[in-house]
Amino acid sequence: MDKKKLFVGIIVFGSLWGFAECIIGPVLDDAGLPSGAFMTGVFAIGLMTISRMLYKQRGMQLGMGIVAGALRMFNPLSGYVICSAIAIAAEGIIFEFIWYSMSLDLKELKTYTMKISTGFISAYFCYIGGYIITQILTPLAASANFYVGNLIVFIPQILSRGLLAALIGGVTVPLVLILKDFEINSIKDKLYYSTAAAVSVLCWFFIITNALLLIGS
Amino acid sequence: MIMDKKKLIPAVSIIILLIGSASSIYVYATQIGESTISLNGQKYSIDQLFFIAEPRSFDSLNFSGISLDDLILKVGIGFPNRQDYTIVGADGYQKTVVWENMENGLLTYEKMVVFSDLPKSFRVKDVVKIEVI
Repeated sequence: MDKKKLFVGIIVFGSLWGFAECIIGPVLDDAGLPSGAFMTGVFAIGLMTISRMLYKQRGMQLGMGIVAGALRMFNPLSGYVICSAIAIAAEGIIFEFIWYSMSLDLKELKTYTMKISTGFISAYFCYIGGYIITQILTPLAASANFYVGNLIVFIPQILSRGLLAALIGGVTVPLVLILKDFEINSIKDKLYYSTAAAVSVLCWFFIITNALLLIGS
Repeated sequence: MIMDKKKLIPAVSIIILLIGSASSIYVYATQIGESTISLNGQKYSIDQLFFIAEPRSFDSLNFSGISLDDLILKVGIGFPNRQDYTIVGADGYQKTVVWENMENGLLTYEKMVVFSDLPKSFRVKDVVKIEVI
């Protein structure tokens, strides 16, 4: 895989993830839906699985998490969404960790049992891991005190909420793997780079415009 | 190795399913259904608290309610700046903050605590208890 192509892929998929977190996440939240579970189960797991499947590269999902987390910081009142940005970056790290032993051609994921189980496990650990990491790191990043007791009493609630994310992830991964035979290198360079640039610019444009509109309102 | 994964991955997902289900049952069984807020051991209705304390609003965050520091002073807690405060939600979510944070905090009528100087994860919904520690 050409490094330039891979780097562009990280930017595109990270931007799409960041776009979902900044634009779709708050809409789900306002609608009273469990946005955290949806964002992890559908967008985080979906986009990271697609990128792993298409680019067949380890480490890419960590980069995507950093790009998406950085984009989340562009939202208004960025000082207050640091917890979301930390959780997103953490999800990228956790996904990499879970999928590290998976072969790059994903030959293990042939049966539906394996596809569903992998999606289930990935979404569950990304959700609860992201939640716990952000609970620990956010107070430190905000110069506030971290109290272990506050986290421990809430662990059953985190483990419980992760179940919905896991169930969604168990559906997302088999759906994404329908596209398994698509070959990213089959796309001509000119089309690949121009599409990647257009998608990334659009994502960033919408996020920054949305942020400016919210600040102005 | 692939053979091992074929057994391990479904087994782990079943264990997760059991842990998640057991946690959900535990959470449901221990959920607190309080209409009052316990403040340092004394129970108050939200209307009583709104009567006691001064109003405060964070226009940029679009929240309004009563100031937490004034509330603490009005209920007569001694040496408030030397205490820590744990805000507990009905779902068990809790956050411990210091007096400086209370000076930048408010309680909404919907029983949500918001701090203007702390990240979103410090917001506690459906508050049932404010403990002085």
